[in-house]
Amino acid sequence: MFCEKAVELIRELHRMSDGQLPAFNEDGLRQVLQEMEALYEQNQSDVNEAKAAGRSELIPSIKLRHCCLLRNQRCITAYLYDRLLRIRALRWEYGSVLPANVRFHMNAEELQWFGQYKKSLACFMRSLGAGEGLDITQDMKPPKSLYIEVRCLKDHGEFEIDDGTVILLKKNSQHFLPRWKCEQLIRQGVLEHVVS
Amino acid sequence: MDPSEVEFLAEKEMVKIIPNFSLDKIYLIGGDLGPFNPGLPVEAPVWLALNFKQRQKCRIVPPEWMDVEKLEEMRDLERKEDTFTPAPSPYYMELSKLLLNHASDNIPKADEIRTLVKDIWDTRIAKLRLSADSFISQQEAHAKLDNLTLMEINTVRAFLLDSLNCMFKLRSNLRPGSSKGQSLDY
Amino acid sequence: MDAQSYLPVQPGVGMEENFFSLDDILLSHERLPVRTECTFPRLGFLEKSSDSPDIPEGTKMELPVWLSKGLYERKRRVLSVELPKVYREGWRTVFTADPNVVDLHKMGPYYYGLGSQMLHFESPENPDIAQTLLQTFIGRFRRTMDSSQNAYNEDTSALVERLDCLEKTLFRSGQSGLNGFQSWEKGRASTLTASSLVLNYRKRKINDVQP
Repeated sequence: MFCEKAVELIRELHRMSDGQLPAFNEDGLRQVLQEMEALYEQNQSDVNEAKAAGRSELIPSIKLRHCCLLRNQRCITAYLYDRLLRIRALRWEYGSVLPANVRFHMNAEELQWFGQYKKSLACFMRSLGAGEGLDITQDMKPPKSLYIEVRCLKDHGEFEIDDGTVILLKKNSQHFLPRWKCEQLIRQGVLEHVVS
Repeated sequence: MDPSEVEFLAEKEMVKIIPNFSLDKIYLIGGDLGPFNPGLPVEAPVWLALNFKQRQKCRIVPPEWMDVEKLEEMRDLERKEDTFTPAPSPYYMELSKLLLNHASDNIPKADEIRTLVKDIWDTRIAKLRLSADSFISQQEAHAKLDNLTLMEINTVRAFLLDSLNCMFKLRSNLRPGSSKGQSLDY
Repeated sequence: MDAQSYLPVQPGVGMEENFFSLDDILLSHERLPVRTECTFPRLGFLEKSSDSPDIPEGTKMELPVWLSKGLYERKRRVLSVELPKVYREGWRTVFTADPNVVDLHKMGPYYYGLGSQMLHFESPENPDIAQTLLQTFIGRFRRTMDSSQNAYNEDTSALVERLDCLEKTLFRSGQSGLNGFQSWEKGRASTLTASSLVLNYRKRKINDVQP
Protein backbone atom coordinates (compact mmCIF):
# COMPACT_ATOMS: atom_id res chain seq x y z
CA MET A 1 0.00 0.00 0.00
CA PHE A 2 1.06 3.58 -0.58
CA CYS A 3 2.13 5.85 2.30
CA GLU A 4 3.78 3.11 4.36
CA LYS A 5 7.11 4.92 4.30
CA ALA A 6 5.50 8.10 5.53
CA VAL A 7 3.89 6.34 8.49
CA GLU A 8 7.23 4.77 9.30
CA LEU A 9 8.55 8.32 9.88
CA ILE A 10 5.69 8.97 12.29
CA ARG A 11 6.26 5.69 14.14
CA GLU A 12 9.90 6.60 14.56
CA LEU A 13 8.94 9.72 16.52
CA HIS A 14 6.07 8.05 18.34
CA ARG A 15 8.40 5.41 19.75
CA MET A 16 10.37 8.15 21.52
CA SER A 17 7.45 9.60 23.41
CA ASP A 18 9.66 11.25 26.05
CA GLY A 19 10.64 13.95 23.55
CA GLN A 20 14.06 12.74 22.45
CA LEU A 21 15.06 13.80 18.97
CA PRO A 22 15.96 10.91 16.67
CA ALA A 23 18.36 11.50 13.78
CA PHE A 24 16.76 13.37 10.90
CA ASN A 25 15.58 10.69 8.50
CA GLU A 26 16.80 12.21 5.25
CA ASP A 27 16.49 8.95 3.39
CA GLY A 28 12.96 8.21 4.59
CA LEU A 29 11.84 11.68 3.65
CA ARG A 30 13.35 11.36 0.18
CA GLN A 31 11.56 8.08 -0.41
CA VAL A 32 8.22 9.63 0.53
CA LEU A 33 8.83 12.54 -1.80
CA GLN A 34 9.72 10.10 -4.57
CA GLU A 35 6.49 8.22 -4.00
CA MET A 36 4.61 11.50 -4.16
CA GLU A 37 6.26 12.40 -7.41
CA ALA A 38 5.33 9.04 -8.92
CA LEU A 39 1.73 9.39 -7.70
CA TYR A 40 1.51 12.86 -9.14
CA GLU A 41 2.84 11.83 -12.53
CA GLN A 42 0.51 8.84 -12.70
CA ASN A 43 -2.41 11.08 -11.88
CA GLN A 44 -1.34 13.71 -14.38
CA SER A 45 -1.34 11.23 -17.21
CA ASP A 46 -4.63 9.60 -16.10
CA VAL A 47 -6.27 12.99 -15.80
CA ASN A 48 -5.19 13.91 -19.31
CA GLU A 49 -6.42 10.62 -20.65
CA ALA A 50 -9.74 10.90 -18.80
CA LYS A 51 -10.26 14.36 -20.25
CA ALA A 52 -9.08 13.69 -23.79
CA ALA A 53 -10.68 10.30 -24.28
CA GLY A 54 -13.62 10.85 -21.94
CA ARG A 55 -12.60 7.87 -19.84
CA SER A 56 -14.43 8.71 -16.64
CA GLU A 57 -13.90 5.20 -15.22
CA LEU A 58 -10.35 6.32 -14.41
CA ILE A 59 -11.66 8.79 -11.82
CA PRO A 60 -11.81 6.42 -8.79
CA SER A 61 -8.13 5.56 -9.22
CA ILE A 62 -7.22 9.23 -9.63
CA LYS A 63 -9.05 9.99 -6.44
CA LEU A 64 -7.29 7.18 -4.61
CA ARG A 65 -3.88 8.46 -5.62
CA HIS A 66 -4.89 11.97 -4.70
CA CYS A 67 -5.84 10.79 -1.19
CA CYS A 68 -2.41 9.17 -0.91
CA LEU A 69 -0.71 12.42 -1.93
CA LEU A 70 -2.57 14.29 0.78
CA ARG A 71 -1.83 11.59 3.35
CA ASN A 72 1.89 11.73 2.55
CA GLN A 73 1.75 15.48 2.84
CA ARG A 74 0.09 15.23 6.25
CA CYS A 75 2.65 12.71 7.51
CA ILE A 76 5.61 14.75 6.36
CA THR A 77 4.38 18.03 7.80
CA ALA A 78 3.46 16.29 11.06
CA TYR A 79 6.95 14.74 11.14
CA LEU A 80 8.66 18.09 10.63
CA TYR A 81 6.36 19.91 13.03
CA ASP A 82 6.74 17.40 15.83
CA ARG A 83 10.50 17.59 15.45
CA LEU A 84 10.33 21.36 15.84
CA LEU A 85 8.39 20.92 19.08
CA ARG A 86 11.15 18.64 20.32
CA ILE A 87 13.87 21.03 19.21
CA ARG A 88 12.14 23.90 21.01
CA ALA A 89 12.04 21.79 24.17
CA LEU A 90 15.80 21.26 23.92
CA ARG A 91 16.37 24.97 24.42
CA TRP A 92 14.58 24.74 27.77
CA GLU A 93 16.22 21.53 28.91
CA TYR A 94 19.79 22.05 27.73
CA GLY A 95 20.13 25.79 27.47
CA SER A 96 21.28 27.69 24.42
CA VAL A 97 24.30 25.51 23.64
CA LEU A 98 23.41 21.99 22.59
CA PRO A 99 25.82 19.08 23.00
CA ALA A 100 27.34 17.83 19.75
CA ASN A 101 25.55 14.47 19.86
CA VAL A 102 22.17 16.24 19.98
CA ARG A 103 23.03 18.73 17.23
CA PHE A 104 24.20 15.85 15.14
CA HIS A 105 20.58 14.65 14.87
CA MET A 106 19.38 17.90 13.33
CA ASN A 107 19.52 18.88 9.69
CA ALA A 108 20.74 22.26 8.45
CA GLU A 109 17.30 23.90 8.42
CA GLU A 110 16.54 22.67 11.90
CA LEU A 111 19.82 24.05 13.21
CA GLN A 112 18.94 27.37 11.62
CA TRP A 113 15.47 27.25 13.19
CA PHE A 114 16.95 26.51 16.59
CA GLY A 115 19.28 29.48 16.19
CA GLN A 116 16.38 31.78 15.37
CA TYR A 117 14.25 30.47 18.25
CA LYS A 118 17.18 31.03 20.58
CA LYS A 119 17.52 34.57 19.30
CA SER A 120 13.89 35.54 19.63
CA LEU A 121 13.72 34.04 23.11
CA ALA A 122 16.81 35.98 24.14
CA CYS A 123 15.42 39.14 22.61
CA PHE A 124 12.16 38.70 24.53
CA MET A 125 13.98 38.06 27.78
CA ARG A 126 16.13 41.14 27.32
CA SER A 127 13.02 43.27 26.86
CA LEU A 128 11.56 42.24 30.22
CA GLY A 129 11.97 43.92 33.58
CA ALA A 130 12.18 47.53 32.39
CA GLY A 131 15.27 46.98 30.31
CA GLU A 132 17.04 44.98 32.99
CA GLY A 133 16.24 41.68 31.30
CA LEU A 134 14.91 38.58 32.97
CA ASP A 135 15.94 34.97 32.41
CA ILE A 136 12.60 33.18 32.26
CA THR A 137 14.23 29.76 31.92
CA GLN A 138 15.42 30.11 35.52
CA ASP A 139 13.48 29.38 38.69
CA MET A 140 11.08 26.94 37.10
CA LYS A 141 10.17 26.09 40.67
CA PRO A 142 9.76 28.79 43.34
CA PRO A 143 13.17 29.18 44.99
CA LYS A 144 13.43 28.54 48.72
CA SER A 145 16.80 30.22 49.15
CA LEU A 146 19.32 32.22 47.16
CA TYR A 147 22.16 29.78 47.73
CA ILE A 148 22.05 26.02 47.52
CA GLU A 149 24.37 23.13 48.28
CA VAL A 150 25.49 21.18 45.23
CA ARG A 151 27.69 18.20 44.52
CA CYS A 152 29.65 17.76 41.30
CA LEU A 153 28.77 14.61 39.37
CA LYS A 154 31.60 14.99 36.87
CA ASP A 155 34.64 17.11 36.14
CA HIS A 156 33.37 20.30 34.58
CA GLY A 157 36.37 22.59 34.85
CA GLU A 158 36.51 26.16 36.05
CA PHE A 159 33.37 28.10 36.81
CA GLU A 160 33.04 31.79 37.52
CA ILE A 161 30.45 33.07 39.99
CA ASP A 162 28.96 36.56 40.34
CA ASP A 163 31.67 38.19 42.41
CA GLY A 164 34.33 37.06 39.95
CA THR A 165 35.60 34.19 42.05
CA VAL A 166 36.57 31.18 40.00
CA ILE A 167 35.94 27.77 41.47
CA LEU A 168 36.93 24.37 40.16
CA LEU A 169 34.06 21.97 39.60
CA LYS A 170 35.76 18.66 40.22
CA LYS A 171 33.98 15.33 40.45
CA ASN A 172 32.57 14.67 43.95
CA SER A 173 33.47 18.13 45.24
CA GLN A 174 30.73 19.96 47.12
CA HIS A 175 29.96 23.70 46.86
CA PHE A 176 27.60 26.33 48.21
CA LEU A 177 26.60 28.41 45.19
CA PRO A 178 24.03 30.96 44.02
CA ARG A 179 20.99 29.01 42.95
CA TRP A 180 20.52 30.79 39.65
CA LYS A 181 24.04 29.94 38.55
CA CYS A 182 23.48 26.23 39.19
CA GLU A 183 20.02 25.57 37.90
CA GLN A 184 21.07 24.88 34.34
CA LEU A 185 24.04 22.73 35.34
CA ILE A 186 21.73 20.66 37.56
CA ARG A 187 19.31 20.23 34.68
CA GLN A 188 22.20 19.07 32.52
CA GLY A 189 23.25 16.54 35.13
CA VAL A 190 26.61 18.17 35.89
CA LEU A 191 25.66 19.15 39.43
CA GLU A 192 23.36 17.52 41.93
CA HIS A 193 21.19 19.50 44.36
CA VAL A 194 22.04 18.34 47.88
CA VAL A 195 19.19 18.70 50.35
CA SER A 196 20.23 18.38 53.93
CA MET B 1 0.48 23.65 38.65
CA ASP B 2 3.38 22.08 40.44
CA PRO B 3 2.68 21.42 44.15
CA SER B 4 5.72 23.55 44.99
CA GLU B 5 3.94 26.51 43.37
CA VAL B 6 0.87 25.87 45.49
CA GLU B 7 3.12 25.82 48.53
CA PHE B 8 4.66 29.09 47.41
CA LEU B 9 1.21 30.71 47.44
CA ALA B 10 0.54 29.28 50.91
CA GLU B 11 3.70 30.96 52.19
CA LYS B 12 1.96 34.31 51.83
CA GLU B 13 -0.49 33.40 54.61
CA MET B 14 0.00 35.34 57.83
CA VAL B 15 1.03 33.66 61.03
CA LYS B 16 1.73 35.03 64.50
CA ILE B 17 5.32 34.98 65.68
CA ILE B 18 7.07 36.02 68.88
CA PRO B 19 10.45 37.46 67.92
CA ASN B 20 13.45 37.54 70.26
CA PHE B 21 15.04 40.59 68.60
CA SER B 22 14.19 44.17 67.72
CA LEU B 23 13.79 45.48 64.23
CA ASP B 24 12.07 48.57 62.89
CA LYS B 25 9.17 48.34 60.52
CA ILE B 26 10.24 47.01 57.12
CA TYR B 27 8.63 48.21 53.91
CA LEU B 28 8.17 45.56 51.23
CA ILE B 29 6.24 45.43 47.94
CA GLY B 30 3.76 43.07 49.54
CA GLY B 31 3.11 45.43 52.46
CA ASP B 32 4.74 46.72 55.62
CA LEU B 33 5.95 44.27 58.26
CA GLY B 34 6.87 44.77 61.89
CA PRO B 35 8.07 46.49 63.96
CA PHE B 36 9.55 43.49 65.75
CA ASN B 37 10.07 43.65 69.50
CA PRO B 38 11.37 40.85 71.74
CA GLY B 39 8.49 38.95 73.36
CA LEU B 40 5.75 40.89 71.55
CA PRO B 41 3.54 38.80 69.21
CA VAL B 42 3.38 40.14 65.66
CA GLU B 43 1.92 38.94 62.37
CA ALA B 44 4.28 37.87 59.59
CA PRO B 45 3.95 35.89 56.36
CA VAL B 46 4.87 32.23 56.65
CA TRP B 47 7.95 32.54 54.43
CA LEU B 48 9.43 35.16 56.71
CA ALA B 49 8.35 33.37 59.88
CA LEU B 50 10.10 30.20 58.75
CA ASN B 51 13.20 32.14 57.80
CA PHE B 52 13.37 33.68 61.30
CA LYS B 53 12.60 30.34 62.86
CA GLN B 54 15.40 28.60 61.01
CA ARG B 55 17.82 31.21 62.33
CA GLN B 56 16.31 30.85 65.81
CA LYS B 57 15.07 34.42 65.81
CA CYS B 58 11.48 33.68 66.79
CA ARG B 59 8.88 31.31 68.13
CA ILE B 60 5.89 30.56 65.92
CA VAL B 61 2.40 30.62 67.39
CA PRO B 62 0.44 27.87 65.63
CA PRO B 63 -2.78 29.01 63.90
CA GLU B 64 -5.92 28.52 65.96
CA TRP B 65 -7.19 25.60 63.95
CA MET B 66 -3.94 23.70 64.42
CA ASP B 67 -5.23 22.16 67.59
CA VAL B 68 -5.98 18.51 68.32
CA GLU B 69 -9.50 19.04 69.66
CA LYS B 70 -10.57 21.35 66.84
CA LEU B 71 -9.12 19.09 64.20
CA GLU B 72 -10.81 16.03 65.69
CA GLU B 73 -14.12 17.81 65.48
CA MET B 74 -13.46 18.74 61.87
CA ARG B 75 -12.41 15.23 60.99
CA ASP B 76 -15.61 13.79 62.47
CA LEU B 77 -17.76 16.34 60.70
CA GLU B 78 -15.93 15.70 57.44
CA ARG B 79 -16.59 11.96 57.78
CA LYS B 80 -20.26 12.51 58.59
CA GLU B 81 -21.17 14.94 55.82
CA ASP B 82 -21.55 13.92 52.20
CA THR B 83 -20.42 17.27 50.92
CA PHE B 84 -17.17 19.07 51.63
CA THR B 85 -17.14 20.89 54.95
CA PRO B 86 -15.25 24.18 55.16
CA ALA B 87 -11.54 23.38 55.36
CA PRO B 88 -9.65 24.49 58.50
CA SER B 89 -7.72 26.90 56.27
CA PRO B 90 -7.57 27.30 52.49
CA TYR B 91 -3.97 26.13 52.84
CA TYR B 92 -4.37 23.63 55.70
CA MET B 93 -2.29 20.93 54.05
CA GLU B 94 0.57 23.21 52.99
CA LEU B 95 0.69 25.09 56.29
CA SER B 96 0.63 21.86 58.29
CA LYS B 97 3.54 20.53 56.33
CA LEU B 98 5.58 23.72 56.50
CA LEU B 99 5.00 24.45 60.16
CA LEU B 100 5.25 20.85 61.37
CA ASN B 101 8.47 20.32 59.45
CA HIS B 102 10.22 23.49 60.54
CA ALA B 103 8.63 24.49 63.84
CA SER B 104 7.31 21.30 65.42
CA ASP B 105 8.86 22.33 68.76
CA ASN B 106 6.41 25.28 68.87
CA ILE B 107 3.35 23.15 68.15
CA PRO B 108 1.83 21.07 70.95
CA LYS B 109 1.07 17.43 70.00
CA ALA B 110 2.65 17.85 66.59
CA ASP B 111 2.45 14.16 65.71
CA GLU B 112 -1.24 13.91 66.49
CA ILE B 113 -1.90 16.97 64.39
CA ARG B 114 0.03 15.48 61.51
CA THR B 115 -2.15 12.34 61.63
CA LEU B 116 -5.39 14.31 61.94
CA VAL B 117 -4.59 16.53 58.99
CA LYS B 118 -3.73 13.49 56.92
CA ASP B 119 -7.04 11.87 57.96
CA ILE B 120 -8.98 14.94 56.90
CA TRP B 121 -7.10 15.06 53.62
CA ASP B 122 -7.74 11.38 52.87
CA THR B 123 -11.45 11.70 53.66
CA ARG B 124 -11.78 14.72 51.41
CA ILE B 125 -9.87 13.15 48.53
CA ALA B 126 -12.03 10.02 48.72
CA LYS B 127 -15.08 12.28 48.54
CA LEU B 128 -13.62 14.15 45.62
CA ARG B 129 -13.12 10.90 43.74
CA LEU B 130 -16.61 9.74 44.52
CA SER B 131 -18.12 12.95 43.26
CA ALA B 132 -15.94 12.90 40.14
CA ASP B 133 -17.26 9.45 39.36
CA SER B 134 -20.90 10.38 39.84
CA PHE B 135 -20.29 13.53 37.84
CA ILE B 136 -19.12 11.42 34.91
CA SER B 137 -21.63 8.60 35.27
CA GLN B 138 -24.60 10.94 35.44
CA GLN B 139 -23.16 13.00 32.60
CA GLU B 140 -23.64 16.23 34.48
CA ALA B 141 -22.81 19.47 32.75
CA HIS B 142 -21.70 21.42 35.80
CA ALA B 143 -20.73 20.80 39.39
CA LYS B 144 -20.40 22.85 42.52
CA LEU B 145 -17.19 22.21 44.37
CA ASP B 146 -17.55 24.49 47.36
CA ASN B 147 -14.91 24.43 50.08
CA LEU B 148 -12.29 22.60 48.08
CA THR B 149 -8.75 23.86 48.58
CA LEU B 150 -6.24 24.65 45.84
CA MET B 151 -3.97 21.71 46.72
CA GLU B 152 -6.91 19.32 46.57
CA ILE B 153 -8.07 20.58 43.20
CA ASN B 154 -4.53 20.60 41.95
CA THR B 155 -3.93 16.86 42.48
CA VAL B 156 -6.87 15.87 40.31
CA ARG B 157 -6.99 18.79 37.91
CA ALA B 158 -5.23 17.25 34.93
CA PHE B 159 -7.00 13.94 35.27
CA LEU B 160 -10.43 15.46 35.68
CA LEU B 161 -10.05 17.94 32.82
CA ASP B 162 -8.78 15.28 30.43
CA SER B 163 -11.60 12.94 31.41
CA LEU B 164 -14.25 15.59 30.95
CA ASN B 165 -12.78 16.45 27.59
CA CYS B 166 -12.98 12.84 26.48
CA MET B 167 -16.54 12.56 27.69
CA PHE B 168 -17.47 15.73 25.86
CA LYS B 169 -16.03 14.41 22.61
CA LEU B 170 -17.72 11.04 22.97
CA ARG B 171 -20.98 12.80 23.71
CA SER B 172 -20.72 14.99 20.63
CA ASN B 173 -20.61 11.74 18.67
CA LEU B 174 -24.24 11.26 19.62
CA ARG B 175 -25.33 14.20 17.52
CA PRO B 176 -23.38 13.80 14.32
CA GLY B 177 -23.54 16.60 11.85
CA SER B 178 -23.32 19.24 14.53
CA SER B 179 -19.56 19.58 14.31
CA LYS B 180 -19.01 17.93 10.99
CA GLY B 181 -17.99 20.09 8.10
CA GLN B 182 -16.27 18.79 5.03
CA SER B 183 -13.98 16.11 6.40
CA LEU B 184 -10.43 16.99 5.48
CA ASP B 185 -8.54 14.29 7.37
CA TYR B 186 -6.38 11.95 5.36
CA MET C 1 12.66 19.31 36.06
CA ASP C 2 9.62 17.06 36.19
CA ALA C 3 7.46 19.11 33.89
CA GLN C 4 8.18 18.18 30.32
CA SER C 5 8.97 20.98 27.92
CA TYR C 6 8.04 18.75 24.99
CA LEU C 7 4.28 18.91 24.62
CA PRO C 8 3.14 16.88 21.62
CA VAL C 9 0.00 17.74 19.67
CA GLN C 10 -2.91 16.04 21.39
CA PRO C 11 -5.21 13.65 19.53
CA GLY C 12 -8.66 14.89 18.55
CA VAL C 13 -10.47 12.00 20.37
CA GLY C 14 -13.89 12.36 18.71
CA MET C 15 -14.83 12.26 15.07
CA GLU C 16 -12.45 15.01 14.12
CA GLU C 17 -8.75 14.26 14.03
CA ASN C 18 -5.99 16.65 14.82
CA PHE C 19 -3.99 17.13 11.65
CA PHE C 20 -0.55 17.19 13.32
CA SER C 21 -1.23 14.62 16.03
CA LEU C 22 1.05 11.59 15.77
CA ASP C 23 -1.51 9.55 17.70
CA ASP C 24 -4.23 10.41 15.24
CA ILE C 25 -2.04 9.58 12.26
CA LEU C 26 -1.34 6.14 13.71
CA LEU C 27 -4.99 5.66 14.63
CA SER C 28 -6.10 6.49 11.11
CA HIS C 29 -3.62 3.93 9.85
CA GLU C 30 -5.71 1.10 11.34
CA ARG C 31 -7.12 -1.12 8.64
CA LEU C 32 -10.79 -1.60 7.89
CA PRO C 33 -12.44 -4.40 5.92
CA VAL C 34 -13.99 -2.85 2.78
CA ARG C 35 -15.65 -3.93 -0.43
CA THR C 36 -15.05 -1.99 -3.63
CA GLU C 37 -18.22 -0.83 -5.36
CA CYS C 38 -16.51 0.19 -8.58
CA THR C 39 -13.41 -0.69 -10.51
CA PHE C 40 -10.10 0.98 -9.72
CA PRO C 41 -8.20 0.78 -13.01
CA ARG C 42 -4.43 0.30 -13.05
CA LEU C 43 -4.14 -0.23 -9.30
CA GLY C 44 -4.34 -4.04 -9.32
CA PHE C 45 -0.87 -4.25 -7.76
CA LEU C 46 -2.31 -2.97 -4.47
CA GLU C 47 -4.41 -6.15 -4.16
CA LYS C 48 -1.82 -8.91 -4.05
CA SER C 49 -4.22 -11.85 -4.28
CA SER C 50 -5.06 -11.28 -7.93
CA ASP C 51 -3.04 -10.74 -11.10
CA SER C 52 -5.50 -8.35 -12.68
CA PRO C 53 -4.17 -4.92 -13.67
CA ASP C 54 -7.25 -3.37 -12.04
CA ILE C 55 -8.96 -3.74 -8.69
CA PRO C 56 -12.32 -5.08 -9.89
CA GLU C 57 -15.64 -4.09 -8.44
CA GLY C 58 -16.70 -6.31 -5.55
CA THR C 59 -13.17 -6.97 -4.26
CA LYS C 60 -12.96 -7.51 -0.54
CA MET C 61 -9.80 -5.98 0.89
CA GLU C 62 -8.44 -4.06 3.82
CA LEU C 63 -7.84 -0.33 3.58
CA PRO C 64 -6.55 2.11 6.18
CA VAL C 65 -9.10 4.41 7.83
CA TRP C 66 -7.71 7.53 6.14
CA LEU C 67 -8.08 6.08 2.66
CA SER C 68 -11.54 4.67 3.36
CA LYS C 69 -12.60 8.07 4.62
CA GLY C 70 -11.07 9.80 1.61
CA LEU C 71 -12.75 7.55 -0.95
CA TYR C 72 -16.08 7.20 0.80
CA GLU C 73 -18.96 9.15 -0.65
CA ARG C 74 -22.54 9.25 0.48
CA LYS C 75 -24.06 9.84 -2.94
CA ARG C 76 -21.93 7.66 -5.15
CA ARG C 77 -21.05 4.16 -4.02
CA VAL C 78 -17.31 3.80 -4.45
CA LEU C 79 -16.68 1.73 -1.39
CA SER C 80 -18.66 0.04 1.34
CA VAL C 81 -17.04 -0.26 4.73
CA GLU C 82 -17.67 -3.19 7.00
CA LEU C 83 -17.98 -2.58 10.70
CA PRO C 84 -15.15 -4.21 12.69
CA LYS C 85 -16.44 -6.91 15.04
CA VAL C 86 -16.02 -5.02 18.32
CA TYR C 87 -18.53 -2.41 17.22
CA ARG C 88 -21.18 -4.90 16.02
CA GLU C 89 -24.29 -5.72 17.94
CA GLY C 90 -22.95 -8.90 19.52
CA TRP C 91 -20.04 -7.11 21.13
CA ARG C 92 -22.12 -4.06 21.93
CA THR C 93 -24.30 -6.27 24.13
CA VAL C 94 -21.19 -7.49 25.96
CA PHE C 95 -20.00 -3.93 26.54
CA THR C 96 -23.39 -2.86 27.80
CA ALA C 97 -23.59 -5.79 30.22
CA ASP C 98 -20.27 -5.08 31.93
CA PRO C 99 -17.75 -2.76 30.32
CA ASN C 100 -15.15 -3.60 32.95
CA VAL C 101 -14.56 -7.19 31.94
CA VAL C 102 -13.38 -6.32 28.45
CA ASP C 103 -9.70 -6.13 27.58
CA LEU C 104 -9.87 -2.96 25.51
CA HIS C 105 -6.21 -3.08 24.69
CA LYS C 106 -6.60 -6.39 22.94
CA MET C 107 -9.82 -5.25 21.23
CA GLY C 108 -8.35 -1.96 20.16
CA PRO C 109 -6.02 -0.55 21.11
CA TYR C 110 -7.89 2.44 19.67
CA TYR C 111 -11.35 1.35 20.80
CA TYR C 112 -12.82 4.82 21.31
CA GLY C 113 -10.82 6.53 18.57
CA LEU C 114 -11.59 4.01 15.86
CA GLY C 115 -15.20 3.73 16.98
CA SER C 116 -15.63 7.48 16.61
CA GLN C 117 -14.05 7.33 13.17
CA MET C 118 -16.52 4.65 12.09
CA LEU C 119 -19.30 7.21 12.49
CA HIS C 120 -18.04 8.89 9.32
CA PHE C 121 -19.53 6.01 7.35
CA GLU C 122 -23.28 6.08 7.03
CA SER C 123 -25.00 3.26 8.85
CA PRO C 124 -28.30 2.80 10.70
CA GLU C 125 -26.26 1.40 13.60
CA ASN C 126 -24.33 4.64 14.15
CA PRO C 127 -26.44 6.02 17.02
CA ASP C 128 -26.06 2.70 18.85
CA ILE C 129 -22.31 2.66 18.28
CA ALA C 130 -21.93 6.20 19.59
CA GLN C 131 -24.06 5.37 22.62
CA THR C 132 -22.04 2.24 23.40
CA LEU C 133 -18.74 4.14 23.14
CA LEU C 134 -19.95 6.72 25.63
CA GLN C 135 -21.47 4.21 28.04
CA THR C 136 -18.35 2.05 27.95
CA PHE C 137 -16.19 5.04 28.82
CA ILE C 138 -18.47 6.03 31.67
CA GLY C 139 -18.74 2.46 32.94
CA ARG C 140 -14.98 2.06 33.07
CA PHE C 141 -14.20 5.51 34.38
CA ARG C 142 -14.23 4.68 38.10
CA ARG C 143 -11.77 1.90 37.53
CA THR C 144 -9.42 4.00 35.43
CA MET C 145 -9.51 6.72 38.08
CA ASP C 146 -9.05 4.47 41.08
CA SER C 147 -6.17 2.56 39.59
CA SER C 148 -4.42 5.75 38.54
CA GLN C 149 -4.80 7.21 42.03
CA ASN C 150 -3.77 4.15 44.00
CA ALA C 151 -0.99 2.76 41.96
CA TYR C 152 1.81 4.96 43.23
CA ASN C 153 5.11 3.12 43.34
CA GLU C 154 3.46 -0.16 42.47
CA ASP C 155 3.79 -2.22 39.37
CA THR C 156 1.04 -0.77 37.21
CA SER C 157 1.56 -2.93 34.14
CA ALA C 158 -1.27 -5.37 34.96
CA LEU C 159 -3.70 -2.50 35.47
CA VAL C 160 -2.64 -0.60 32.40
CA GLU C 161 -2.53 -3.65 30.19
CA ARG C 162 -6.28 -3.82 29.67
CA LEU C 163 -6.79 -0.11 29.04
CA ASP C 164 -7.46 1.42 25.65
CA CYS C 165 -5.03 4.10 24.37
CA LEU C 166 -7.27 6.92 25.50
CA GLU C 167 -7.69 5.45 28.99
CA LYS C 168 -3.96 4.98 29.22
CA THR C 169 -3.40 8.66 28.60
CA LEU C 170 -5.91 9.45 31.35
CA PHE C 171 -4.24 6.95 33.65
CA ARG C 172 -0.92 8.70 33.13
CA SER C 173 -2.28 12.17 33.80
CA GLY C 174 -3.88 10.84 36.99
CA GLN C 175 -0.59 9.32 38.05
CA SER C 176 1.39 12.46 37.40
CA GLY C 177 -0.97 14.45 39.64
CA LEU C 178 -0.62 11.90 42.40
CA ASN C 179 3.13 11.54 42.06
CA GLY C 180 3.55 15.30 42.12
CA PHE C 181 1.60 15.54 45.35
CA GLN C 182 3.35 12.64 47.00
CA SER C 183 6.82 13.86 46.18
CA TRP C 184 5.81 17.26 47.56
CA GLU C 185 4.58 15.57 50.73
CA LYS C 186 7.92 13.81 51.11
CA GLY C 187 9.68 17.14 50.73
CA ARG C 188 11.22 16.43 47.37
CA ALA C 189 9.24 18.95 45.34
CA SER C 190 11.66 21.83 45.80
CA THR C 191 14.76 19.81 44.97
CA LEU C 192 16.19 20.70 41.60
CA THR C 193 16.68 17.66 39.43
CA ALA C 194 18.30 16.81 36.14
CA SER C 195 16.09 16.89 33.08
CA SER C 196 14.77 13.41 32.30
CA LEU C 197 15.31 14.17 28.64
CA VAL C 198 19.00 14.77 29.25
CA LEU C 199 19.31 11.58 31.30
CA ASN C 200 17.54 9.52 28.65
CA TYR C 201 19.87 10.90 26.01
CA ARG C 202 22.83 9.84 28.07
CA LYS C 203 21.42 6.33 28.51
CA ARG C 204 20.97 6.05 24.80
CA LYS C 205 24.49 7.24 24.13
CA ILE C 206 25.86 4.55 26.40
CA ASN C 207 23.71 1.94 24.69
CA ASP C 208 25.05 3.09 21.33
CA VAL C 209 28.59 2.61 22.49
CA GLN C 210 27.90 -0.82 23.94
CA PRO C 211 25.69 -2.59 21.41
